[in-house]
This record gives sequence, C-alpha cells and structure tokens, in this order.
Amino acid sequence: MREVLLASPSPTSGIFKVSSLAGRLVTLTSSSLGGEPQRSIVCQLDGSACLVPQDVVRLSEGLNRVIVAYRAADTHHTLFVTNQCNSRCLMCSQPPTRQDDRWLFREAMETISLIECPPRVVGVTGGEPTLHAAKLRELLDFAHASWPVTAVEVLTNARQLGEAGVAAALLEGLRPGRTTWLVPLYGGADELHDFVVQAPCAFDQTVGGLLNLQAHGQSIQIRTVLIQPVLDQLPALCEFIAKNLPFVQTVALMGTEPIGFALANAEMCLVDPSERVDEIRAAVATLRLHGLTPVLMNLPLCKLPAQLRPFAAASISDWKNEFAPECELCQLKPRCSGFFTWDKSSLHRTRITPILRAEHV
Amino acid sequence: MSVGTVYQAKVRPFETRRLNGGRWACISPVGEVAFLDAQILELLRTAPEEVDGDLRQRLKAKHFLTSSAPTQGLDRLYASRLAEKAATAAGPPALHILVPTLQCAHSCQYCQVSRALDAQGFSMSQDQMLAACDTIMASAAETLTVEFQGGDPLNRFDLIQLAIEALAHHPARQGRAIRFVIASTLHQLTDQMCSYLRQYDVKLSTSIDGPAWLHNKNRPLPTRDSYARTLQGIELARAALGPDSVSALMTTTHHSLDYAEAIVDEYVALGLQDVFIRPLSPYGFAKRNLAYLGYSTQDFMRFYERALDRVLWWNGQGVAIREAYAGLILNKLISSFDAGYVDLQSPNASGRAVLVYNYDGWVYPSDEARMLAETGDTSFRMGVIGKPLEALLSCDVSSSIANQGDASGDPDCRACAFKRHCAPSPVDAAALAQGGHAAPTRETEHCRRQTAMFDFWLHRLCDVEGRGDTQTADLLARWAQPSSMAGAS
Repeated sequence: MREVLLASPSPTSGIFKVSSLAGRLVTLTSSSLGGEPQRSIVCQLDGSACLVPQDVVRLSEGLNRVIVAYRAADTHHTLFVTNQCNSRCLMCSQPPTRQDDRWLFREAMETISLIECPPRVVGVTGGEPTLHAAKLRELLDFAHASWPVTAVEVLTNARQLGEAGVAAALLEGLRPGRTTWLVPLYGGADELHDFVVQAPCAFDQTVGGLLNLQAHGQSIQIRTVLIQPVLDQLPALCEFIAKNLPFVQTVALMGTEPIGFALANAEMCLVDPSERVDEIRAAVATLRLHGLTPVLMNLPLCKLPAQLRPFAAASISDWKNEFAPECELCQLKPRCSGFFTWDKSSLHRTRITPILRAEHV
Repeated sequence: MSVGTVYQAKVRPFETRRLNGGRWACISPVGEVAFLDAQILELLRTAPEEVDGDLRQRLKAKHFLTSSAPTQGLDRLYASRLAEKAATAAGPPALHILVPTLQCAHSCQYCQVSRALDAQGFSMSQDQMLAACDTIMASAAETLTVEFQGGDPLNRFDLIQLAIEALAHHPARQGRAIRFVIASTLHQLTDQMCSYLRQYDVKLSTSIDGPAWLHNKNRPLPTRDSYARTLQGIELARAALGPDSVSALMTTTHHSLDYAEAIVDEYVALGLQDVFIRPLSPYGFAKRNLAYLGYSTQDFMRFYERALDRVLWWNGQGVAIREAYAGLILNKLISSFDAGYVDLQSPNASGRAVLVYNYDGWVYPSDEARMLAETGDTSFRMGVIGKPLEALLSCDVSSSIANQGDASGDPDCRACAFKRHCAPSPVDAAALAQGGHAAPTRETEHCRRQTAMFDFWLHRLCDVEGRGDTQTADLLARWAQPSSMAGAS
C-alpha cells in the first residue's frame, strides 16, 4: 500500500478522488455510488506528498496518513477486497487477518465509480476474494458494467469455488472472456500443495474449483510460486497440469516476493532462480509440449538463460519494482521485471549481470 | 478427520503387465502408466498407505492412488478423464467411409477386394450415394470425417463430387466441420480434380510401400510404374493443394521385412511427416496369398522395431517424422484424450463410431466387415444404404458387436492388461471361423497384433524413463497427442 501524508489530520473517512490540485491544496470528491450525496473537501498535503488529479485515496478520520487506492499514472491497478484468507501459504506476501473487512468491497466499488479513465487491466486481490462470494459477484458485475473493455483478473485459491452453491452464485451468467481467474497450484497431488498452503484438503477443493471455472467457460491462469519444495517437484506439477488441466490458458511460474511469511520461512521460500534454471527450463518444455503457454514472472531477465527470456514478463507492478545501479547498462531493462522495492535481500540483488547485447529476445 | 488420515492412500483401478527384466507396468484407464518393481507393486496392491512419500505423490498425480479424505474435486477430475478416453466409443458416429467403387487399375497381391477397371457392377448408384450422405448427416457428431475408399475412388470422381456437394450443402450440416479424405493411388489425379478438391480442403491419403522396386513389386501394374505414377500424383497434389495435403501409408509384406530402414528413408526423402508401419490385413484376397506374403507377428515386430529406430534416428538428425502406429498406441497409454482410432476402442466401436457405405448398397460396421463380405460372409451387413441411422445403430449386427466386442464379457480379454484400451474384434473372430465357430479372441490377428504393440511400447516407455531420456520421452508424448494424428485413419 502506498501512502501520502496530509499536513493535518483528516476531518473525515472514506474514498475520495483528487479532483483538483493547487500548490499543496488538494480538492477531494467522494463517490455518489448508490445515491450517496457527493462530498467535497479541501486538504493540505504534507511537503513531500505527491498526488495528481484522478488519483483515488482513502482518508481515515483523525489520521494524517492517506492510502492511495488507485494511481491513474500506474499501469498495474489492484482492487484490494479483503485481508481474510482460508489458507496460510508458506510464502504469503500479505499475511491474513481475521477481522470483518467487508467494507473493502464497498470501497472497491466506490473506487471504480470515481475513476474516469478505465484501465486496460485491473486485479482483484486479497486475502481470498471468494470468501464473500455474493459481494465479489456484485463487484465483478459492477466493474464489467462500468468498464466494458477492461480485463478483470481475480487472484483466488479457488477452494470455495469447488462448492456447487458458491460456484453458481459467483459464476452463473458471468460472461466468459471478461474475467481471468489467477489460481495458485503447488503440486500434482494433495500432500505437497496442502503443505505449501498450510490447509488440509485444499488441493482437492482447488481442483474442484478449477473444474467449475472451466464448466462456466472462465479463463484461468495457474500461478505457481517457485519456492524450494515446489521446485523440487516441479516436473510432476507441470505434467499434472498438462494432463489434467489442459483447459487453462496460461501457467505462470513466479519468483517469490520476499516479504511477509516468505521471510519467516526464508529457508524454504527464498530461492535464487538462477540456481534452478534446469527445473524451470524442463517445466517450460513440458508445458509447451502439451500446448500450454508458460509465463515466467518476477524473474529478472539476467537470471534466466537466453532461451527462457522470451517467456518472461515484466510482471512486478510498476509501483513496487525497482532496478539496481548495474541495471542501467542493461539493454533488456525495459522488458525486465526488476526487483521488488522492498527486497533488499542479498539473494536477489547479487549476481546481477547487465545484458549488453540482446540477441535472443 | 486428522491430518494423518486425510492423506492415507487408496488405490484406484488399474491393470498390470509384467515386463521382461522383472519390472511391472501399471496401466490406468485414464491414460497414465507407471513402472514399478514387483515388491512396490505388491505394496501398492496390499498396503497403499505404506508406499514411500515421493512415489506416493507421483502415483497420486497419475491417478493410481487417491486419498482417504473426501476427494470430490479429484473424483470429478477422474470421471471427466474417464469420459474423455471413452468419448469415441460412447459418441455418435464420426467416421464415415464411402466406397463408391471397387474398380482399381492395380492387381496387388495383398489387396483385399479390388476389381479391374472394366468390371461391371462394382460401383454405387447415385441414389445410393445421396442416401448415404443423408445418413451421415443424421449423425450428431460435432465434427465428421468422410473418407472415400475403394478400389480407387478417383475412378469414380463423379460420385466423389456428388457426395461432397451433397454433404457440404446439406441442410442438416449446420455449420459442422467435415474433414474429407480420399484414399487413392493418385494415378488418376488431374489438375481439374485438384482445383475442385481445393475448394473443400480435401486431404489425400496414398500408399507408398517403400523404395520404387519394393512398391512396384507389391503393387503390380502392367506398365510396372506404380511408384513413379503415385509420386507424380503426390507432386501434383502438393503443388495444387499445399505441402501437407498428402499423407501416405505402407503395407508390410514379407518382401518388406529386410528393408525397414530403406522404407523409412523413402518417407524421409519424400518429405512425408508420417510413416504408418502397417502389417498385412489377412482379409479377402490377402488371406488367399497369405502363404506367399505373410509372416508371423514376431517377424513383424522385429521389422517394426527396426523401422521405429530409424524414425527415431531421423528425429535425432532434426527430421521431424512420426511413426503413426506408435502414435495410436501411445495415445491410448499416455494421453488424456482419445485420438478416435476406431480399431482401438473398448468396447469395440465398429458399427457405432464408424460406418462403411459400400459400393454393393449395404452398410457395414468396418472396413474388415465389407472385405469379409467379398469372401462370402455377409453376416455383418447392418442394412441397405438408406436405412435410417437410428435403425442402423440398433440393428442386430450392432448389438451383437456391442456384446461380443465387450472386453468384460470375453474370457480372453477379462484378464488382459489392455482391456480398457482395446476390445475383441467380432469381425476378426468371424474371419477365422472354423466350422461355424468364431475363433477365440487370443487367436485373432487383431489381438495378437495389438497385444504385441502394447507390449512393445510399454517396454520402450519403461526403457526411456529408466534412462532418463527426456528428449525421446517428449517426442513420444507429442506423438501421443490427438492433434498429431491428422493423417491416420
């Protein structure tokens, strides 16, 4: 979450759009979603704070801190809808909390209503967004109605979607092709997957969820974070996906985001991808052999051999990635994911080798 | 349920086959195989919960094992994979073979049925062809394959055109894809025919038995130029219809047995992407000439292995050529999808997945059945052309094939490891009938040949896995995919 500071505590709470800016004075306007009266207030920004018109922020009464919910200049946009989760993944970048936070769905809709220029793609993330299936469906319908050409991506473990009732509530009549479901899978069988997500029966539930997504014609991307135990069994996982889930559109193999639980479980979670290139290469080959499309995410290009670079995406959100000084020399920097801003671990920041002659991308 | 019992392993159904060298092949009906030592297999059978962790995970991922916990998700997945493998046998008829004429210029020694060009009464009437097209279009199959066979069907190009027009513009087509294939020597192919065939993206399937001398020996013409003329046809078709418009099949006679490499090299030289190493089919005239042309299953398998190794060698040299029979067997063993090969279905799918509309005005359940009729056994006639599809599918011949072609009802098949990928062939059994009694399944050509092929491929897969030869493993996995089967029928 990005924050800016106000010069004095906010007099109110809620989601506001920056409607105009004059020096350090910012005019904020609330949403009129659901017939709510539109409110306008003027606040003074702290000296260092940076906001521009069209940004959407969350004010909290009595606090100077303002959360930036949507920054118009970004290319990656995320609607954060809950911090609750039914899994406890070893490498979770955002450890879940228990308290009721359903108001976040309302805020997400207000945010959508305030955005004037629809983004190309928006992510819906948590926590586990499907824990509140009816609210999620309401949000998806609202997003699609407000932004008819925006691609919506929901990051979900799909466990709830294995239940017929939840699947029906969430997916019945949801037009195929508009939503992509990003579903993590960590093993070709229950024991490994359930261990990684720290939840018994999760594998079976996720498989059921994937089948229901397919039955409703939804687009699916499998997401696999490459932590140690997953890398150790990666061939079996890829073969399982290829032979059992041939209907998924893409399979993302992802470097770990070194924050949250991943730091607590550092020994298992922090892997230098350049040391596991053989496994990644074999995984990409297996997926392609069966007609699936692999995508490598959060993996800096210089850590991959040349023949794998075409599969790599500049996947780290622009507001949370950065580059090392060495990277300035690299020809591939514009196409590279870079590093997570908060990743100061020596692991990822060593052995950076700027690619001076890019022949293979 | 405690975490310990959640993951306790339970066995799903699978078959086993002992391999030379003491290992066992485990064969799952959903298209998975696993190779295990005897004592591990014993453990898997008697105390699956004690199978070691890593292996347990692998066997779960391949659906040999599941967990004791409720597994609704995996059970649904398993059911959909079973249904996928049974799609051809359970589905509406998708392959329709039209035999406009038996006329052919050749007098091949192994040919089952063909007649000379001036022979009378060996062609279908126009009305029969149109009635056959109506029956084809009555099938609910989402995509249809219509294959013209003979004789050499190009001798009656008028009937081919009549059928293609009738099918392509049929009111019941409703936008469905139709794949047209003509099986022909291509000797009669002309520019004009090609420009017509191009409109409907018709594919051509021809025969190349090997180098010129072998091909000409197998396929005699008075002019002794069968090979050269087929090659001309291939060139013409490629120029007019595109480089991938022609596929070829070979038939193995005992003249072929010493020339496995030369045959494969011939296919490579011709730029063909598939070679189908096919044994002789002991029907019709071929049965009479069996003493002269025939060979044992063992002889064929030795030949097959040499040919296959040559194909693999070429792939190692960067030439992408596939052995089609391997593709069909591997599709059964290791693919999630069914390639639709009619001869390997369980239960036997003759007369359901495939129908043959013969020049004689009758509908038959398979190519072999119409050939059997040429030697006098007409018991597999399903009805005259024009009989409604529903009536054909529910006729006595159909139900008798369904009964006799069910592996679970056949004493030889019941104990067979391949019964989920193969089933008895009642037509084959009738072909070998002695004194009115059909031959036991194990004595049929179908059983001997397919069993030998399954065994061969299990040994190969086990060997490739044991050597960690991922390059060959990937190649075989690619061959197993239905999308690579375009040429095979």
